[in-house]
Amino acid sequence: MHQSSDTRGPSRRGVMGAAAGLAAGSAARVAAQPAVSGAESGGHVAMRLQINGHDHDLNVDVRTSLLDALREHLDLTGSKKGCDQGQCGACTVLIDDQRELSCLTLAIAAQGRRITTIEGLAGADGALHPMQQAFIDNDAFQCGYCTPGQILSAVACVAEGHATTDADIQEHMSGNLCRCGAYPKIVLAIKQARGQMGRG
Amino acid sequence: MPRDTAELFGKPTPRIDGVAKVTGAARYASDEPVANPAFAWLVTSAIARGRVGGLRLDSAKAVPGVIDILTHDNVGALAQPPAQMDGGPTTTTLETDQIWHDGQIIAIVVAESFEAAREAANRVEVDYVAEPPSATFDSPGVQVEPHKTTEDSKDPAKGDAAAALAAAEVKIDARYSTPTQHHNPIELFTTTCVWDGPHLTIYEGSQAMWGLKANVAKQLGMDPAMVRTISRFVGGAFGSRGGTTSRTAWIAIAAKRLGRPVKLVATRDQGFTIATYRAETRQHLALGASRDGKLTAFVHEGWEVTSRPSGYNVAGVDTTARMYACPNIATAVHVVHADRNTPGFMRAPPETPYMFALESGMDELAHALNMDPIELRRVNDTKIDPVSGKPFSSRSLMACFDQAAAKFGWSGRNPKPGSMRDGDWLIGWGCATATYPTNIGPAAARLAVTPEGKVTVQLAAHEIGTGAYTVVAITAARSLGLKVDDTTVMLGDSSLPPVTVAGGSNNAATTANVVYKACEEVRRRLAEAATADPASPLHGADAASLQLKGGTLMGPTGASEPFKAALSRVTGGVLEVHAENAPQGSKPGAVAGLYEGKSAMVRGTGRENVTTFAFGAHFVEVRVHERTREIRTPRVVSAFSAGTIVNPMTAHSQFMGGALWGLSAALFEATEIDRKTARYVNHNLADYLIPVNADVPDIQVLVVPEEDDQVNPLGIKGIGEIGIVGMNAAVANAVFHATGTRIRDLPIRAESLL
Repeated sequence: MHQSSDTRGPSRRGVMGAAAGLAAGSAARVAAQPAVSGAESGGHVAMRLQINGHDHDLNVDVRTSLLDALREHLDLTGSKKGCDQGQCGACTVLIDDQRELSCLTLAIAAQGRRITTIEGLAGADGALHPMQQAFIDNDAFQCGYCTPGQILSAVACVAEGHATTDADIQEHMSGNLCRCGAYPKIVLAIKQARGQMGRG
Repeated sequence: MPRDTAELFGKPTPRIDGVAKVTGAARYASDEPVANPAFAWLVTSAIARGRVGGLRLDSAKAVPGVIDILTHDNVGALAQPPAQMDGGPTTTTLETDQIWHDGQIIAIVVAESFEAAREAANRVEVDYVAEPPSATFDSPGVQVEPHKTTEDSKDPAKGDAAAALAAAEVKIDARYSTPTQHHNPIELFTTTCVWDGPHLTIYEGSQAMWGLKANVAKQLGMDPAMVRTISRFVGGAFGSRGGTTSRTAWIAIAAKRLGRPVKLVATRDQGFTIATYRAETRQHLALGASRDGKLTAFVHEGWEVTSRPSGYNVAGVDTTARMYACPNIATAVHVVHADRNTPGFMRAPPETPYMFALESGMDELAHALNMDPIELRRVNDTKIDPVSGKPFSSRSLMACFDQAAAKFGWSGRNPKPGSMRDGDWLIGWGCATATYPTNIGPAAARLAVTPEGKVTVQLAAHEIGTGAYTVVAITAARSLGLKVDDTTVMLGDSSLPPVTVAGGSNNAATTANVVYKACEEVRRRLAEAATADPASPLHGADAASLQLKGGTLMGPTGASEPFKAALSRVTGGVLEVHAENAPQGSKPGAVAGLYEGKSAMVRGTGRENVTTFAFGAHFVEVRVHERTREIRTPRVVSAFSAGTIVNPMTAHSQFMGGALWGLSAALFEATEIDRKTARYVNHNLADYLIPVNADVPDIQVLVVPEEDDQVNPLGIKGIGEIGIVGMNAAVANAVFHATGTRIRDLPIRAESLL
């Protein structure tokens, strides 16, 4: 088990503080004024996240998104921040094998669920997942910034059964923006990989 | 003399950074690990003109975890505004209390976490002294003036265009407009600054490593040698990361005040106002021709919005006036100063807007002449640059038109607008010329090779998605007769030898030519050692005739020795060379200027004996629904001819991505501006429309072979920008063919056709 402890915050609080922070966060959501509500300031919370098969213990601001937890507290920077508001798909991760936007997921809400990031997609021996290899073979990226999200979304797209036709792939890959315009090659990559992926 | 470029290049090669990009290992600027960073959040102006009367910070400071708040009052005197590429002034941020535009940085909160910084930034209360702003064209208070011309860029003029236009047998005279656009690379604008004593390291996605280093040093009054910039991967740039913007120096100051690294990740909406954009244009185009289609008069005027202090403009008439043979040319460009942030380079900055007008106008002229639009281009094709009178070094425009037309099936087109349909869908076929000047810059590179044939190449070039790592690897490996897989390339770090800005599509030509030069130095030293050594099978041969091929040093008669043996005559270990390249036509001091962060370039229109451009042709089918006016683009064929293609695999991606940008410019992209407040309205990726996967048609890219040893020794023309150019017009022309309605204002949307 990996142990990661983050002590950067201004204070470390225990489980009670965490509970209070969570409650305050919920109240703030209802009020639709999270940014200016004073109640949620600085509440830190201990949490355990299961990422790529390993448990990670964190103590972070209760408002921390799963994306920021990965990037800023666990050095898992393969998940990218492109908008931080659920519009671009660059932060896509798999949670219990479903594709989710980690920028719109509170880290604390991902506890007890299996999180897969791009760093966890290749085999333990470093062998690339068929989708990763297919992206390379088809030059399905340019700058590469949206690529981790595209690949995880593509893996889920195949698993969902949404990769049978080109039109189906295009429709179900439209939540992941690629500003370089690699889209046709992303479709080719998915068609290459779909037959090579094992179950799940 | 360089080797046969066909032997070196042209083999499709997967990106050497592919594994890093598909595994998440590629570190973009904000991914770089730094110890114990504090996090910054920008406070930006909610008005577009006026000044900051006061900031009330108590509530923000009370947020747990807040460490510092930078404002004009406490840090304003610590930095000068960043130098601009055009050498002129730009808007300020914390240096003064003045507000030049919406979304201007007016304070920076630094805290223990993003969460605390964000909350505190939202708690900063600003007392504005507001004045009514001028938003754009026609807004009260804008100032219009002619743009500044320079020795290198004058408004093309020849003959008497007004008289020729008045006398023309056939003419068109029309006004066009193109909208504000933002680059919106998916990587946000980020800056992380780390001090180690007097040394400053800046992690920031950049298209100009040494330029950023020099500019920030100057802003902070530092010795540039104390500043290092790192940007190993860039998550899209498209011009947005070419210049130095204001945020960088302030984050450096924040880190200095704290004695601790500071990391800024600006939000998507802030990215619309803290960086640059493509300004909206208005254009007037008049073309005169004789009945046989030959142009007799060319008049092209542009108006471009810029900020109050900056004279930035793109003046695309310098390209359009060179496209077709014409004896009478008149052009003019005006800038319109408004209360806006300063615009900047965005993919094919001059050509994207200005070729829209010209290539729409050519289609209108073809229609007026009752002539096929391809034939109109053919009648006016020229091997001589009509502005300068110099020959084009190569120009394969009509070969591109002909090959793309054949692939597209253009011969099956009924030229009558509205004549082709499929059920409720009106079908239109349109075409247009693509072009981009061929530029190349000075560069330096360090290359080291081991006896085992492992090569390391280091230069401060920029991987912005163009395949820059792979271009360098291919050039080094193939020139040395070694393997791409055995090549390690390091880019994106100002501690490496300098390279000019990655702009103007110069990267492949610039980096390949300097790396080739380094390899040639290795070859020369190995060849001279072998021919001088009686123990070598190559002893006595002419050193100049020896080549590095297939892991050997080989003579013209077939005698050879392994690379390792050849290298051992020169060194017992590793051979390292440092090469510098000032391309032919460079101004004196071009290489020295690199080390001062200057971004020089030999431009396609600035050469002594020739004019250098790449050319292409776009063909597009649009379908417009008869009743709803919904517009679809089911298929595109684009052909390009751009000299030596270093890596066909990545080149195809760039051409295709460029063509998609062109479709996007035609049908989707526009930053909407509230005219009353001069604020951007759709500053996010849901409301600023860019294509998603389901929007993309069948795009076929053809590459027409071309050799051109005048552009540079390796014959490489730029390919990163040409793909976008002209596609907006091709779509508009197709919409006209489908509907009989000529749309001269972009983007074209269903409501344009109601």
